[in-house]
This record gives sequence, C-alpha cells and structure tokens, in this order.
Amino acid sequence: MAQHRPRILRAALAVVGAGALVAGAAGCSTPAVTGAAAVPGVGDDVITIGSHQPLTGPAAAGYSSISAATSAYFDYVNDHGGINGRTIEYLVEDDGYNPANTQTVVRKLVQEDEVFAILNGLGTATHTSVLDYLNQQEVPDLFVASGSTNWNQPEEYPWTYGFNADYVVEGAALAQHALDTQPDAVVCLLGQDDDFGDEFIEGAELVLGEGGLAAVERYSVSNQDVAAQIGALQAAGCEINLLATVNGFSALALGTAAKLGWFPQWYASSSGGDYPTLIGYLGEDLGPKLLQGFTSTNYLPMEGDAWVDLFRTINDEYNGGAPFDGNTIYGMSVGYLFAEALAKAGDDPTRQSLVDAVSSGDLVGNGVLPLAFGADSHAAFHGVGITTVDQGVQSYTDSAYVLEGDTVESVELDPVPLEGEGIPTAD
Amino acid sequence: MDRLLFLLATGLARGAVFALFALSLVLIWRAARIVNFAQGAMAVTAAYVAFAVTALTGSYWVGLASGLAAAALLGLAVERGVMRFASHASPLSGVIIAIGLVMVLQSLLGMLAGQTVRPMAAPFDESPIVVGGVPILSPYDAFVLVVALAVMAGLALLFGRTSLGLQLRAAAFAPEVSRLLGVRAARMTTIGWMLSAAVAALAALLLIPTELGLNPHSTDVLFVYAFAVAVVGGLDSPAGALVGGLVVGVAMSLVTGYLGATVAPIAVLVLLVGVLLVRPGGIFSAREARTA
Repeated sequence: MAQHRPRILRAALAVVGAGALVAGAAGCSTPAVTGAAAVPGVGDDVITIGSHQPLTGPAAAGYSSISAATSAYFDYVNDHGGINGRTIEYLVEDDGYNPANTQTVVRKLVQEDEVFAILNGLGTATHTSVLDYLNQQEVPDLFVASGSTNWNQPEEYPWTYGFNADYVVEGAALAQHALDTQPDAVVCLLGQDDDFGDEFIEGAELVLGEGGLAAVERYSVSNQDVAAQIGALQAAGCEINLLATVNGFSALALGTAAKLGWFPQWYASSSGGDYPTLIGYLGEDLGPKLLQGFTSTNYLPMEGDAWVDLFRTINDEYNGGAPFDGNTIYGMSVGYLFAEALAKAGDDPTRQSLVDAVSSGDLVGNGVLPLAFGADSHAAFHGVGITTVDQGVQSYTDSAYVLEGDTVESVELDPVPLEGEGIPTAD
Repeated sequence: MDRLLFLLATGLARGAVFALFALSLVLIWRAARIVNFAQGAMAVTAAYVAFAVTALTGSYWVGLASGLAAAALLGLAVERGVMRFASHASPLSGVIIAIGLVMVLQSLLGMLAGQTVRPMAAPFDESPIVVGGVPILSPYDAFVLVVALAVMAGLALLFGRTSLGLQLRAAAFAPEVSRLLGVRAARMTTIGWMLSAAVAALAALLLIPTELGLNPHSTDVLFVYAFAVAVVGGLDSPAGALVGGLVVGVAMSLVTGYLGATVAPIAVLVLLVGVLLVRPGGIFSAREARTA
C-alpha cells in the first residue's frame, strides 16, 4: 500500500517533466536566451544544489547529521559573502535510504527544482539507482557519500565523482598495517553482506593473498544479533579482526565479543570506526574500556587539527551545537570541497566548468593525503591514514598507505593546513 | 557439538522474546480480530517512557513498570480514540489505520527524541555462563526466558481459569451473544488492547538491551519476525506463539551459524510459506474458532 504514493508522485513528475521538455523545446527555438540564464540552478546571486539523504527511517540514526553539517558550513560561507559573489542554497531531500525514493527525489531535484549539481548523495544502493539518470542528464554528481568503487568510472560515468576512500583501499591498508606491525597474527574479517563487505575483502586479500584471512564471517543489517558470527571468529582463534561494518555493527561486534569474555584487536573501516559515535552506542562506562587500542582508518582532519576547531565553531554557531562527531567533520569537509570546486569553476560557472574544475587536479581539499582527482581518476582518495584510540583520544598513527593498482605503498601523511577562515577562493 | 550447543543457547533467549511479542499479536487478534501493525511502534513508544523514567530515577525496575503502564494506557488510547471508529465493513480499514499510526508514532518519536540510538543497559550481567568450555546462557538471557515463560503461564491462567478471562474470550468470539448475557463486550475489547500492548512493550524492553539500543525503529524487525511467528503458530493460538517463537529464534541462530547471515531472513520466509501451504491457519490453529 505504501508503494502507491511514489508511483503517483512519479506519474505526476512525468507530467511535469514532459511539460518541462515542451518548454525546453520552445526555449531552443528562441535565440534570445542568454548563456548565463541557461545554466540550471545558477542565479545572479545564488547557486542551488541538491542531495538525497536518509533523514528518516532506520538509516537516519547513522547518517542524518551529515547533511545538517554540510548545510551549516554553507550557511557559514553564505554569511561571509558566499563563493564568487553567490550564496549556496543546499536542498536536502529525504529518501529514507530506499532506492525507489531516491529515484523520485533526485528527479524532482533535477527537473522541478532545477539544481545545478547533486552533492554527496548518500548510500551505495540508493545512489547507484540514479547513476545512469544523472549522467544521461549531464548533471554534475559530486562527492558521493559511499566507499563503493562504482563512482570511479570516468569513461562510463563522466559526471560522477566519489568522496570516500573506497572499501578496497581501506581493506588493503588495514591488512597491510596488520602485516607490518604483527606479521604472525591470525587475521580474520567480519563484513556486511553487500558490496561494502565484498570490496573490503577484495582489498584485504590483495595484501594477504587468497585464503590469507583465517576466517570470514558476514552479517546482515536486518539482524542485530551477531553472536553466531563472533562465536565463530573466536573459535577460529582470530587475533586481529578486520571490520567491514557500519558504526552500529562495529559496536555490536565489540559488545558481543566482550560478553563472551573475548578481547581481540579490531581494525575497522572508516565507515564504522568513529570514536564518538561508537561511544554513543557502547555507553560512557563500557565504551572507553572496549575501545582502547581500537584501530581504524581516516582521510579527514581529526581532533586537535585547526580544521576541526573551525568546524566545531561553525557547528556551535550554525548547527545549534549538535553532537560533534566524525559525521560533522565529514559533512563540513564535503561542503568545503564543493565550495572549492565552485570557486575554481569561474565567475559564471556552468555544469561543464564545474566538473572541469574537479578533474583539473587543482583541488586541494582538507584531507590528510593529497586528493586523487584527475582526468582519469574520479576517486577523491587513493589512500588512508591509520588511526588508533589511546586513553579516549582517537588520532593518526605514523602509518598511512596508498593503493596504486594492486600494490600497497607506505606513505607519509601530508595534511592540508587551514588557511584563513576556511572559505576557498578562486586562486 | 560445542558450536551446536552455543548456537542453540543463543537462539533460545531471542526466540523467547519473539514468542512474547507474537503472543501480544495473538492477544489482540483474539480480542478484536485485528492484526495490529502498530504493535511495534506502540511498544517502542512505551520503551521511550521506560528509558526516560529509568534515566530520571536510576532504577531499571521503576522504568520497566512505568513502561508497561504507559503501554497499557497507549493501548487504551488507541482502542478508544482510533480503532473503535474503524469501519467494520472491511478488515482492511483497521490495518490501514494501524499503518498510519506507525508513521505518526515513529515521526513523533523522531521529532521529540531524535534519531540517535541510545544504549539501554540490562539489569543483569550479560556475560554467558561457561559450561564445559561452551558459553551457554547469560544471567540476563535466563531472566528473559523466565519472564517470558511466566507471563505466558500467567496469561494462560487468566484466560483459562478466571471469570475475566472467560468474559474476554466470550466477547471476542461472540460479541452479540455475550452482550445479551451481560458481558460488557466493548470494555473487554479495551482490556484486550491494554493487555496486548503491555505484553508487546515487555518483549521490546527485554530485547532492546541485547541489541544496538533505543531508536524509533528499534522494534521494526522484531515486529516482522514476531508476525511471522504468530502466523506460523496460528494467529489465535498462544501455544502456537510460544512454540513458533522458540522455533524461529533457534532456526535463525542455526542458519546464521551454519549457512550465513544473509540466508537467515530467507529461512524464516521459507518456513512461513511452507507452513501456510500445508496448514493455512497455522500449525496450532483451531479452525472452527478462527472462522467464528
């Protein structure tokens, strides 16, 4: 029954879309239309962009704070004069993490709201459902919020660019770190039963070889009981467990193991390794004890960095002092990177000039490793830094790894320092 | 062998919670002939009350009691305020109203309490007792099992041995006749709703500490599995809910352990389809009562 509404909506959208086509065709025959006015979403003093995010539903708990942080950053930029004289209007549509809804809301954003670009659409399954549509419509599809390798296909999807370090990179980096620091340890893996787990395993096996993982267990998000899987890992004598898990299931894995009286080492993906979020799940009493020595990856600034201080100020001022965690830093970093791309897309940006700015390789971002964007790379990061938790503080270790082709190389962290007020300029 | 024991033990406590929640669906079906799709949302609302009271008083037990009371009140409000006005011409109207209620309750919780997951502490140790090298039940699992079985026994006594129970059954099966005989049928329906809501809230409160924590969607999956359990057992059979719950709980644990987590929900669906093909009324259904 609940299925009917989107269908009606879609029918309505089809009518609206057809109307727009007619209007568009009429527009083509009128040579008086100026170049500037023809770019959707670009007004004289405002740029309109959109996104699809899970604001309600089961996934909202983990992700709804990201777009709020991005919006807060844009508000901050707008209060400081915007980018190239234009303010940024960020339209966030709720898709409830359901690909059917994603299709509807993204079409609404593109056809009805006429957004300039889609920014940071969240989720692998959800965003995959609009990948073809956005590329056919030639809408810039920037900085997708997922670590799938789908977004890095410049030939097939020239308008799409990823943001997260992909899961293959993360799996390879964590496996290499395990190998470098404890060459004799028994390494196992717990992974989500979808692309996230598959690609992460692929990365880990690049380093450890086929069968290099002593045990591989999978979980399904529809079942919050992972006792069977953790029991199997324990029985296999695992010493280091790689986690291709979202934050909630990282917490479940640690909590379940602790109940079994088992305390192995945990190496989690950045998608499931955010300390403040994990403390939220595990509680203030138990959390810090279980998370001592917890290893994860990251590519964005962490606690103690000037960027984070700035983001905290923005969060207090423009985001109502919402809980400050990895999602906040992530959301604002996405906002910064978009603002930078926009600043470098020219005084009168077009959709082409925007993606050209990203592909130029001139973007710097605010990560701890150089951005990988270029003509033949639509991935933001080819590498990650390794983080660890000590005494309740999560910070970078000296280790960082980059995946070049099929080989993992150890590199130095190279964080981008904060300049000025954290608002990008054209040069 | 060790692995089998471990998986059986893990599945048992979870199965008891499924059974308890399924029982609440059976209660409401017997009282009002409605499959209450809002049962999960009502239970999680009560769990929020329990959480708030526990946070205020520091006592798990005061929180638990207030949660159950809140659930009963919510059951009263839903029956008197909404369900009573549902058209009796089609059973579908009650179902649709219940689905609407789910959206209203979950959105309200999201707006008032936010979407974040709040950890809920269990009142007992959750570390399992190890017997012969195999971790078996934890004290909390044992508590869940005992409470679930005690509540079911209590309900069996209520329905089978008391005058109130007799009136409840009479009002559900033959409202007109029982009204003629002096049973306050409308009041009995309301009591059925209150009882059912409280049992559902109890199941939710027992389950949430073993999972991620409290969130407006904490009971979504519980409802789906418990619904499958209730249908497998027979919607009007409390014994069916108990057996079905334990079977589904243990089966999920075994399938997850031996075949993989992805297969577990599918296994439950296969069980559901299989049972419905062989016995459309459910394993323990009393056919004449069902059509009454």
